[in-house]
Amino acid sequence: MTTYFGVDVADVIETMPSRFRKEAAAGIAGSFGYDLGEAGRWRLAVRDGDAALAPAEDLDDCLAVVATDPQTFVGIQLGKIDATEAMALQKLTVAGDRGAFGSITRLFQKYLPPGEEALPETELVVLKQTISVDQTFATGPVMGRFLKGLKEKKILAMRCPVCGRLQSPPREICAVCRVRNTEWVEIGPKGEMRMLEYVYYASPDPLTGETRETPYGAIGVLLDGCRDEEVFWHLLNPAQLDRVQMGSVIDGQVRHGSRLRPVWAENRTGSIDDIQYFELDD
Amino acid sequence: MQSDFDTSDCYTIEGKLALPYTYFAGRVGSRFITTLRDQHKIMGVRCAACDTVFVPPRQTCERCLGDLTDSWCEVGSRGRVVNFTVVRYPDRHLPRPVPFVLAMILLEGADTPIVHLLEGIPPEQVAVDMAVEAVFAETTTNTIRDIDHFKPCDA
Repeated sequence: MTTYFGVDVADVIETMPSRFRKEAAAGIAGSFGYDLGEAGRWRLAVRDGDAALAPAEDLDDCLAVVATDPQTFVGIQLGKIDATEAMALQKLTVAGDRGAFGSITRLFQKYLPPGEEALPETELVVLKQTISVDQTFATGPVMGRFLKGLKEKKILAMRCPVCGRLQSPPREICAVCRVRNTEWVEIGPKGEMRMLEYVYYASPDPLTGETRETPYGAIGVLLDGCRDEEVFWHLLNPAQLDRVQMGSVIDGQVRHGSRLRPVWAENRTGSIDDIQYFELDD
Repeated sequence: MQSDFDTSDCYTIEGKLALPYTYFAGRVGSRFITTLRDQHKIMGVRCAACDTVFVPPRQTCERCLGDLTDSWCEVGSRGRVVNFTVVRYPDRHLPRPVPFVLAMILLEGADTPIVHLLEGIPPEQVAVDMAVEAVFAETTTNTIRDIDHFKPCDA
């Protein structure tokens, strides 16, 4: 008796007909060959929802013939070896109709060694929880001045004294030139849409803990007074998701995007939410 | 507080960070929890190669890298304190009002300690090597807290 993974290879082969799930085999007819090296050559004849297995020298009449070594065969039957991986490693080859062979392999119940009964399905423990953490965000002097500007319906940017680029929300330092930004500039508040991201998976808002309705549009607006990549990121009026046009500059060819204007919140507190969203400026 | 820059534009914004979270105990972890919950038994896994009993159980032996999924063994619900700490900093997520004791407990038959609450004794009287036993929870949470805590017992 030859064993692999503690299992008798002959028993794995001989139990194939009894492990065949007849109810699932309707409409399948034909012979399938198993060339298992020293464990022999076998023909599985499937007809009328029944399967018969017999040793066979000649497998030429089979729809498909699988060739592998007994260890790989037993490993796959026990779920210890992945069939796709075995094929990639050339330890298992299928000649003939691969599709038909693929469908036949799914018709067998898993092999269980004699005396072992099928274990009941293990209950899997999954816990769902929402963790809530109170946060206090410090604005710092630069972001603080920007947010105070929003309270007065002004969008402020900082200009780099070396390269001249504008950043909004502002940064204390121009990370490209590594110099301290000093000059404040008011930009917008209207602009042109340059970028639209349809968001289908929303992360919770860190200010409210609430998750936005999806899909929503995250947009990059090129506010008046800005150029090139100096876009300002905010939200689009969700009702206008499909009515806006993105602008672009490709090889010097300018295509203008939709004109947008900010919608200011009634009660402004000096927060990024002082702009509710941008909407079409018709 | 003195500052070397103009702080007139500095202020704070209150936020509430919500983290939706799905925790999967895994196949091995699930069986550990359900056995604890339904049978009040603490299960570990034994690595046949190095003869180490891991509690809580794990899928793979960290030394031999062997698969331990089906190598279950029961360990005792009694054990000994191998180390401990007194938690004195209160926080909302903590399981008890401070001060309370978190102990590493080596259960009978296990080779790795489990961390759990130790109660029924003032923190200053807890000592390494003292004998303790598990007190199972009356209501399940499907977590390690199905052991409510450990308490001192006779050696």
